[in-house]
Amino acid sequence: MFDKTLQRAHGLSKVLVWIGGTLILGSAILVTLEVFLRKLFNVSLGGADEISGYAFGVATTLGFAYALFERAHIRVDALYVFLPKSLRRVADIVGLTLLIGFAALITYNAWSLVGDTLDNGSRAITPLRTPLAIPQIPWLIGWVFFVACGLLMLIAALANLLTGRADKSDDLIGMKTLSEQIEDETV
Amino acid sequence: MLTKTLVILLGLIAIAVPIAASLAWLGLALQWEAGIPLWRALGDTAWQNGTDFLLVAIPMFIMLGEILLRAGITERMYEGIVKWLGWLPGGLMHSNIGSSALFAATSGSSVATAATIGTVAVPQIEKRGYNEPLFLGTIAAGGTLGILIPPSINLILYGLLTDTSVPELYLAGFIPGFLLAALFMATIIALCVIKPGWGGEPVRATWNERLHALPSLIPPIGIFVVVVGSIYAGWATPTEAASLGVVAALILAAANRKLTIPMLRAAIEGTMRTTSMIMLIILAAIFLNFVLSVIGLTSALADFVKNLGLTPFQTMLMLIAILVILGCFMETLSMLLTTAPLITPIVVALGYDPVWFGILLMVLLETALITPPIGINLYVVQGIRTNGVISDVMKGAVPFVLTMFAMIALLLAFPALALWLPGLFYG
Repeated sequence: MFDKTLQRAHGLSKVLVWIGGTLILGSAILVTLEVFLRKLFNVSLGGADEISGYAFGVATTLGFAYALFERAHIRVDALYVFLPKSLRRVADIVGLTLLIGFAALITYNAWSLVGDTLDNGSRAITPLRTPLAIPQIPWLIGWVFFVACGLLMLIAALANLLTGRADKSDDLIGMKTLSEQIEDETV
Repeated sequence: MLTKTLVILLGLIAIAVPIAASLAWLGLALQWEAGIPLWRALGDTAWQNGTDFLLVAIPMFIMLGEILLRAGITERMYEGIVKWLGWLPGGLMHSNIGSSALFAATSGSSVATAATIGTVAVPQIEKRGYNEPLFLGTIAAGGTLGILIPPSINLILYGLLTDTSVPELYLAGFIPGFLLAALFMATIIALCVIKPGWGGEPVRATWNERLHALPSLIPPIGIFVVVVGSIYAGWATPTEAASLGVVAALILAAANRKLTIPMLRAAIEGTMRTTSMIMLIILAAIFLNFVLSVIGLTSALADFVKNLGLTPFQTMLMLIAILVILGCFMETLSMLLTTAPLITPIVVALGYDPVWFGILLMVLLETALITPPIGINLYVVQGIRTNGVISDVMKGAVPFVLTMFAMIALLLAFPALALWLPGLFYG
C-alpha cells in the first residue's frame, strides 16, 4: 500500500541527498581554497568556515529522510533476533514512532526558531552578516520532509500489517536483512 | 535518579529503539526532574550544533574514506599490505590490522575503517580457509584504531568538550595508536601459533612483488601527510585539514581515472547516509548531556566520587571499570559525549594530565566499539557478511578486548607512552 507515494518520496530523498552531498563537496573545495590563499598569498575569502557550517547543517537534515528509507539508523538487535516475528513488528513500529516523535519535537521547535528569524530578520553575528533565513529555511525543509516521510512510512507499515501484508512492512521498517546490508557496504 | 536513568536507557535500547531516539527519549523523560520544559531548547541546539564548523570535519572524513574506497585506492592498499604482512602466522589477518591502521590514519572514522577494510577482506575468509570468528574479530578490532590514530573525529570531540588542544592530542595518540596495532598483531601471531588451524593459508610474496606493491601504499600515506601534516604545521584546523584531504582524494581518484559521476553519486549517498545517521545521534546526545547537567546528575556523580575517599589511583581504576561496563551498553559517540565532560574534571582534579586521559579514554572507547551487546564495529562487520550470526563476530573480538585491557594497563604504568611525543613539541 502507498507504494507509489513511498517510491516517489524515496526518489525525492535521493535528490535531496545529492544536493546535500554537493554542498559538502563544494565546502571542501571552498575551505581548501581558503587555506591555500591564506598560506600562499595571505588573503582570506572570509566566511568559508561559516558557509561550510551552514552547508553541513542543511546537508545533514536533507539526508535524514534518505537515511530513514535506507534504514540506516542504528538499532541494537541483541534481543530483537530472539523475538518472534509478531513482536519484532511491534518493536519496529515502536522504534519508528519514537524516532519520528523525537524528530517531530525538534521540527516543532525548529519551526518556531525559523519563524523568529523571519519575524526579526535575524542576521548572523559574523562579518558576513548572513541573513539566517537563507540557511535556516532549507534546514527546516529537511526536518519537515524527514518527519513527513517517517509518518508516511509508519502509516504504510501499519496499513500493510493490518491488511495481512506483513512482509511489505518488514521491507519498509524492519531491521535490515544481511543481504540488504551487504548491498550497501560493498562497492 | 541514577537507577531510573539506567533502566530507561537499557529498556529502550533492548527493545531495538534506534540509538538516537533512545538517547533523546531518555533526555525527554529526565527533563521533568528539572521542572523546566528543556525540550524547548531542541530547535536551538539542533541549529547551533548542527552547523558547528568543528563538526564539519565529520562528513569530510567520511567522504574522504568513501572516495578512497570507491576509487579502488583502499583495495589496492589492502593488496599491497598483504604482500608485506601476509607471510606472518595469521596471514591476511595482519593485513586487516595493518590496513585498518593505515586507513584509520587517513579517515577519522572507526565505522568507515571497519566497513571499508571489511568489504575487501571478508570474501577472503572462505577462499583461504581462515577461522571465521577470529578473522572477523581482526576487522572489528582493526577498525577501532580509527579512534586513536590521528586524525580522529573522537579526539576532536574530546578536545572540544574538555578544552584540550587537539594538535597535542593528535601527537599523544601516535605512539599508543601504533603500539596497539602492534599488540593486535602479536595477539594474532600468538593465537595462530597455539592453534595453527586458525591461521588459514599464508601469502608468500617475493621482495620484488613487495617493492612493486609500494606505489599502492603511497596514496594513503600521502593523504595522511596532507591531513595530519597541515595540522601539525599550524596551517590548518582539523576541519580544514579534512577538507584538504577530500580534495586530495578527489585528485587521486581523477589520477586513477575513477572520478566519474556515478562514482561521486555513490560516494555522496554513502557519506550522507552515515553523516545524517551519526548527526542525529550527536544531536540527541548533546540534548541528553544538557538535561543530565541541568538536573544535577553531573555534579551528583562528581561529589559521589570525591566522597568515596579512595586514592587517585584507586579512583582511576574504578573509573576505568565503570567506563568498560558503560561501553558494553553505550554507543561510542554518545558515551564520549556524555562521559568526557563529566569525568575529565574529576580526573584532572586528581592530578592526571587531561591529554593523557584523553588517550586513555580513546582506548576505552575503542573497547566499547567491540564489546557486546552494543559495539558498533561488531554490527558493521556483521553487516558485510553474507551469512552467519553476530555471535561469531563477538567471539572473535574477545582476544582483542583483552589486548586493549593490556594497552590500558600499559598506559597506566607508563604515561610517557602518550605524553612523551607532545612533550617534545610543546615541552
